[in-house]
Amino acid sequence: MTRCTVTTGFFVLGRCGRPSVAACPQCARPVCDEHAAGPNGLCPECAAAQGYGSHDAHDPGWAGGYRRHFYQSTSSTYQDRAWYSSFDSYDRGSFERGGDHSFAEGDFDDDDTGFVDS
Amino acid sequence: MFWRKQRAAIEGFHPLHQSLIWHRSFSVSMRPAEWDALIRGLARHESVVRRRRWRLPARTRTALVPLVRVLTEDMRPDGVLSVALDLRGPKFPEKTGPRHEMPVQRPVTSMKQWFVVDPWLRLRAELRDGSVLELAVTDRIRYRRIRKRNPRGKIKVKYKTKKVLRVDATRRLAKAAAVRRPASPPPGWIVVRVKDGPRPVIRATAKIPAAADERALVEPILTVSTELFRWTPPGTGAQRRTA
Repeated sequence: MTRCTVTTGFFVLGRCGRPSVAACPQCARPVCDEHAAGPNGLCPECAAAQGYGSHDAHDPGWAGGYRRHFYQSTSSTYQDRAWYSSFDSYDRGSFERGGDHSFAEGDFDDDDTGFVDS
Repeated sequence: MFWRKQRAAIEGFHPLHQSLIWHRSFSVSMRPAEWDALIRGLARHESVVRRRRWRLPARTRTALVPLVRVLTEDMRPDGVLSVALDLRGPKFPEKTGPRHEMPVQRPVTSMKQWFVVDPWLRLRAELRDGSVLELAVTDRIRYRRIRKRNPRGKIKVKYKTKKVLRVDATRRLAKAAAVRRPASPPPGWIVVRVKDGPRPVIRATAKIPAAADERALVEPILTVSTELFRWTPPGTGAQRRTA
């Protein structure tokens, strides 16, 4: 089963892990029904990159859209390039199966995944 | 009776939403789904309630909602986020410290100084990597009453205030969590302390000049909190899995 590889979390990053129902038309990463609900079926990251992200914190998707901007700005405040690049490589890791940041455990456990709880 | 439709609408709101309107404060522990329900209710406040007196405090929109949205992103559905919010403002005797007489020089004839400490937000979040984040945001206002007399005997009394925001962030990591010193130090205005042990504790404290623009309030709070997570960079923290 292909799983949704959308990055979740803000400081503690993870992968969504729900069963995917489609692929993002922009980046082709598999997305679940919840994360494919963006404009034109875009994943949250691609939607935010195209300016579709919400600016209202009451919106449940606001934090996901704000995250990349926040990592960029704090990376500059802390003068720590590794801070932003670690987030960026984590997010990009979902495209590289077997890489250091590749898809592993998702937010949503399922019995048939074969992953063992620790 | 005036405003009866709006009053009736308020009676249908979430109890914490009502508490914000009537008492401008609340203290509660809830799970992310319950916080989401509250925030969805807060989002439609302005469309339903137009009376100025019943407006939500501005910091609900500029600080509470964004912080809750960010922290619940990092929590498991069964994690608990506790919030103690007090947006009544600084003008309460219990928040006011004693007045002290300050040394003066002519033409100032007397100066009294006192501080008001208003801890308006305290948060505790159980994050999904097993760590616990505690956040305290306090307004600290210095008041000075200055009495001065000019050569012709005319007396003037002036009040001056200086407001700073103090942010204290603490992250208690999960047992045996790996901690790695970040490549670069934090900015000079953030003080960091790390306590090693079976459960390492990282504390970051900052004193920030009060922002003229309250809309940008959440940014410095999150920037201070960032230091706690630079010690466990994204993707390196062990995910806590429960059966």
